[in-house]
Amino acid sequence: MDVLNPAFWTFVAVIAGIYAILSLGLYVQFSLAGLPNFGHVAFMAVSSYTMAILVVRYAVPMPLAAGAGLVGAVLLALVLGIPTLRLRADYLAIATVAGGEIVRYLAMNLPDVTGGPVGSIGLLGPGQIALYNGDWLAFLDRFAASLSGIVGARVSRDAASAILVWCFVGVLVLALWRSERSPWGRVLKGIREDEAAVAAVGKNVFAFKLQALTLGAILAGIAGLLLAWQIGVFSPEDYQPTLTFYAYLIVILGGMNRLLAIPVGAVAFSLLYSGTRLLNFFPLSLIDSGSRAFLRLFLVGFLLVLLMAVRPEGMLGNRKELLLEK
Amino acid sequence: MTAVLLEVQGLRKSFGGVAALDEASFVVEEGSITALIGPNGAGKTTAFNAISGFLKPDAGTIRFAGRRIEGLRNDLVARAGLVRAFQSPRVLTRMSVMDNMLLAGKDQPGERLSLTWLAPRRVASRELEVHRRALDLLELLRLLPLAEAYAGTLSGGQRKLLELGRALMVEPRMILLDEPMAGVAPVLAEQLLEHIRRLRAERGVTFCVIEHDMDVVMSVSDRVIVMDEGRVIAEGTPDAIQRSERVIEAYLGRFAPASATPGGAP
Repeated sequence: MDVLNPAFWTFVAVIAGIYAILSLGLYVQFSLAGLPNFGHVAFMAVSSYTMAILVVRYAVPMPLAAGAGLVGAVLLALVLGIPTLRLRADYLAIATVAGGEIVRYLAMNLPDVTGGPVGSIGLLGPGQIALYNGDWLAFLDRFAASLSGIVGARVSRDAASAILVWCFVGVLVLALWRSERSPWGRVLKGIREDEAAVAAVGKNVFAFKLQALTLGAILAGIAGLLLAWQIGVFSPEDYQPTLTFYAYLIVILGGMNRLLAIPVGAVAFSLLYSGTRLLNFFPLSLIDSGSRAFLRLFLVGFLLVLLMAVRPEGMLGNRKELLLEK
Repeated sequence: MTAVLLEVQGLRKSFGGVAALDEASFVVEEGSITALIGPNGAGKTTAFNAISGFLKPDAGTIRFAGRRIEGLRNDLVARAGLVRAFQSPRVLTRMSVMDNMLLAGKDQPGERLSLTWLAPRRVASRELEVHRRALDLLELLRLLPLAEAYAGTLSGGQRKLLELGRALMVEPRMILLDEPMAGVAPVLAEQLLEHIRRLRAERGVTFCVIEHDMDVVMSVSDRVIVMDEGRVIAEGTPDAIQRSERVIEAYLGRFAPASATPGGAP
């Protein structure tokens, strides 16, 4: 593959932005409120499946279907959160791991509802190809056309998508920046440190935790919608637990407990993950491509271990804060 | 005669087969500094946990300012004006001293995310008030120079002071202190005592204090409650308690030599 192929990098930029939104959701839950959510990907899955099913089967307009998808993500957050958030953090961790897998297995094994293992393309049953992102692509094309008018050069659909997604990331970062500096954010950080101490000064810890979980679920739901629209077809395999761990990687790689580290981490992760695809020059080209793919994943892991050894606080993290005991 | 602020009646709590609280009953008068003493395992901390809503009692009633609070959720007990501090101070180590204080401020509209966006002025003006109160208290507790430091960098004694300050941010009528002097350097301990006396005198805050140091108990408190094996075995002024035979028995064992009982039963 050509290192300088702009189409490739534009696509990487879109995916990086979507990962940033997904990780911002995890930031609210894990970095702010200290909630160990190991089933983040399930919120993506629920929102994209809800959206696709409504669009394909019931011809619901795209914005309405997208809203319903987010409602689905919120409902899942309530189902997982209400029984577990009064208990120790471990229980949320267990419930979210299980919840994530349950969602994926349901998607795989309820072909009448979800299209089964073949995914969204089978939503109309065998023999028919189901597509759900026509409205989105039309919208992107209109957006790309007006952008072209402004910059005076042709803007591709993916470039328009990248601009849109990253503008949205910017808005979200600003909104969360302000929220985490509000008394609300202060209470969440307090809960992360010691929830008994926060309850002792009169704060309803459970309600705050549920809010954080739900807000994170909405952000993951948005990421799920954007990813589904971007890739055009999805199947249960696209919602493997690894996606949740990519989000954790981004949070940790960028720097724990630092909001700006999320977009930086998302870009770094995507460069690392996609960039290693391009290691096809001499002498690496002597190795056959199958082994090279393997080598690439090894390299990603190795670089991450190295980073954690040298900079445990991540790229932008605060070492002083990290070294303080809880 | 002052009014009763906290009234505990027949409080019971068992862990497995062990009764940590066995029909404990006592009262704390408004504006008093009341010491809760007793040997290890007497049920003092369990009583605090039950009163502050951190533990659901099996039976019994707790009345605070005339209102039944047994079984009430811990944050609601605090909001009712009864705030506790912990035996080993639980400061939020990776937040600044100031943020520890601000967090505890009561009635903050900014704790609702929607109001941060819809009523930013109301949020900002309350934040200013809370900030002013925090500055006042930090100054009073002589923690002002440390306001921007991480709470995790404070010494044990400073943490206890911060926890006291944080409790005061809730504007409580009564504070429960669990062994405030334990593990605190003598100079800071003296300061802490001074603060307790002053806060009672100037702000009318009622204190109930678990304490093991008898010199402290006798010097600071105006009433003493003695617990043993989950019950209250004596209540009275420090002088009367010092002379009580049952108390000496509980501390020294039943067959204490006659020379260890200077007075007689009150």
